[in-house]
Amino acid sequence: MTKLDQYESAFRSADKAVYAYERIEPREILLVSDVGGEVAERLLDRSRSFLSVLAGDQHRWQRLDGDGFDSVGSLLEAVESREPDLIVTYRHLHSNAWQWPYSLGEHLDVLTQVTAVPVIVLPHPEAGWALPHSLQNTDRVMAITDHLSGDDRLVNWALRFTEPGGACWLTHVESGADFDRLLDVIAKIPEIETETARVLIQARLLMEATDYIEFCRKAIEAQGLDVRLEPRVSMGHRLSEYRRLVEEHRIDLLVMNTLDGEQLAMHGHAYPLAIELRQIPLLML
Amino acid sequence: MIATPVSSLLLAAGPGVPFGVTALFAALLVAMIVCLALEEKLQAKKSVIVGSFAVVCLLLGGWLELLPFRDMVLHAGELDIEFPIYIPAIDWGVMAIILGSSLFVDITSKSGLFTWIAIRLTKLSGGDPLRLLVFYGVMTVVFSAVLNNVTAMIIVGSLTGVSLKRLGIEDKLLGFLLIEGLLTNVGGLLTLISSVPNIIVGRAAGISFMTFLVKAAPYVVVATGFTLALGARFFGIRRLQDAEAIAEAGQRVSGFDENDGIDSRFAFWFGAVMLVAFIVTIASASIPGTLLNRLGMGYVALSFAVVMLVRYRSVADRFYQALDWDLLAFFAALFVVINVMEHAQVLEWIGRGLRPILLMREPLGPGLLLLASAAASSVTDNIPLAAMLAHILSAQGVAGDSSLWWSVVFGANLGGNLTPIGSASTLVAVTIIHKHKIPLSFAGFVKLAVPYALAQLALAAVYLWLAF
Repeated sequence: MTKLDQYESAFRSADKAVYAYERIEPREILLVSDVGGEVAERLLDRSRSFLSVLAGDQHRWQRLDGDGFDSVGSLLEAVESREPDLIVTYRHLHSNAWQWPYSLGEHLDVLTQVTAVPVIVLPHPEAGWALPHSLQNTDRVMAITDHLSGDDRLVNWALRFTEPGGACWLTHVESGADFDRLLDVIAKIPEIETETARVLIQARLLMEATDYIEFCRKAIEAQGLDVRLEPRVSMGHRLSEYRRLVEEHRIDLLVMNTLDGEQLAMHGHAYPLAIELRQIPLLML
Repeated sequence: MIATPVSSLLLAAGPGVPFGVTALFAALLVAMIVCLALEEKLQAKKSVIVGSFAVVCLLLGGWLELLPFRDMVLHAGELDIEFPIYIPAIDWGVMAIILGSSLFVDITSKSGLFTWIAIRLTKLSGGDPLRLLVFYGVMTVVFSAVLNNVTAMIIVGSLTGVSLKRLGIEDKLLGFLLIEGLLTNVGGLLTLISSVPNIIVGRAAGISFMTFLVKAAPYVVVATGFTLALGARFFGIRRLQDAEAIAEAGQRVSGFDENDGIDSRFAFWFGAVMLVAFIVTIASASIPGTLLNRLGMGYVALSFAVVMLVRYRSVADRFYQALDWDLLAFFAALFVVINVMEHAQVLEWIGRGLRPILLMREPLGPGLLLLASAAASSVTDNIPLAAMLAHILSAQGVAGDSSLWWSVVFGANLGGNLTPIGSASTLVAVTIIHKHKIPLSFAGFVKLAVPYALAQLALAAVYLWLAF
């Protein structure tokens, strides 16, 4: 390794992603359901109660009932015409496929990818899979990602939904399988010392997220937000790690990225997570 | 003086060398200089090039009976110590300074001290391009003076790439890197240990560390200010005016963490204290009559390196591996070649050629020597040039306080700014420029750098005339 490369690495390492706090105010909130009448009204009440952090005159709730759309196309048109800042819905609209937990349902599949508006996905009202603490409040919110550093938007949304006095987990899980695969390759390169590479790469992967969370903590303190920040940076199997953390900390709302500018499909592990973690509400950005 | 007690025996080899032999060795010297200039094309390290010539020169010198083998015995009491002919040819004082200071600087840099200073200055600039240029320029000069030109360029150049990208002003990268490259050779003039030509010429002329610093500092300050002002104007590097842009730039540089590279606070402060102590001790070693003066700057440099190694005793071998052995072997071989050239009367020839210049009155004589040194060091390594001219000036009996010595120092250092191959640090600057995919040819560099280099040389000529 040349000295030039050594110093470049040192300075790149010192150049850290800085977090900038920005308060998010979703004014128009649209509840999309496949029911109507009193059932829809009860669902709206329950959603408003659950999302009490969005109480107040500045937040206007609307309903898009089941008779307001009969296809994916008409759903997209209806959503577009109402220009919401936040959508609240659940899986398998106009379908009984919720009984087979292998997809999100055609409406939600398309909606999350076509619209840039964040979508809160509630546990299905009829399925009964919601955990006992679910849908009560949002004093335990968790943001999950495999690349936390620099993701201000994810953190800002997670903070916005954390009730005052609550806790917000910022979770970064590096894929252990990907890391092992990389080390397998490094182990076959004589010029690179495998053990040194393992220690240094692992430390570096986890350090960036840890440093970023430290910036978040300082910004939250500076803003005087009444939120406890809980950092969770680790390496392992993402899905099982997230599931474990959700259960262990009785998480009320999971926040994650779903849009990926480079592909039509959902971002990274968002799709399997959205399918598997159906016991608690998800905020899909 | 370069000559050691034993090597003075070597210098005593008398005249009477046939013209053809001197011409043959002169041709070898020219060939070596050409090969050094074509180092990149030949894809050979300096040490290999000069080492090959040293082998051939010693062989031919021995065969043609130029070398005084009979005098290679040192009588120490009852002991007779026999030296190989090439051992006393090497100036071990210079070697000790270079070895000791390289090792010391390398170990000190591991403490994170230099990256800390660099990042602190970046944050202090608030991301303003002009302030950043001034801070980086001054930092380049100071690092070149305290460390060495190449390390200074590597530190400041690599930070420049990262910080300008962070600030979204990569279009200014060429200007920043070029100016920093040119300032390494200005900073290299500041102290006796800032560059190898300074060490060689300073030792030969008997210039002390403090004398060197006091005489060189005013020029370095003026030349730095001038280079920065010209660079800022030419490359359109200005202060930010818009309040929003100022706030955004400040936010962007605030992400730099100066403590990131510091593994241990103790190592950091130890490195800082040792660096200050090193500079003070090196300076005090120039006070005549003191023990340190008798032991020499090489001893000081090696001692500080050893103290730093004690701190990192379990991984000391890593620092040995990181030493620039090519540079050290290059010096050793170069001293051998120059010694053989001396016996072959080649340096006497060149000295005779230079005598008209040396006898000229000021400012013409020193001015011409300055330009000649600069021109020569712009196309080949300035170390052989400095070593050769130091030998010649010594042999011609030039007084230690003559401005001619300073002509060689200024010319050898500043000549490196005329071409990208003129000095190792400008070559590093070009390497970083190319690493950032900025096209810059040899001619392109010369076109951009010549106005600065000529202005610096003109300033030096005036300074030599007025101040010495």
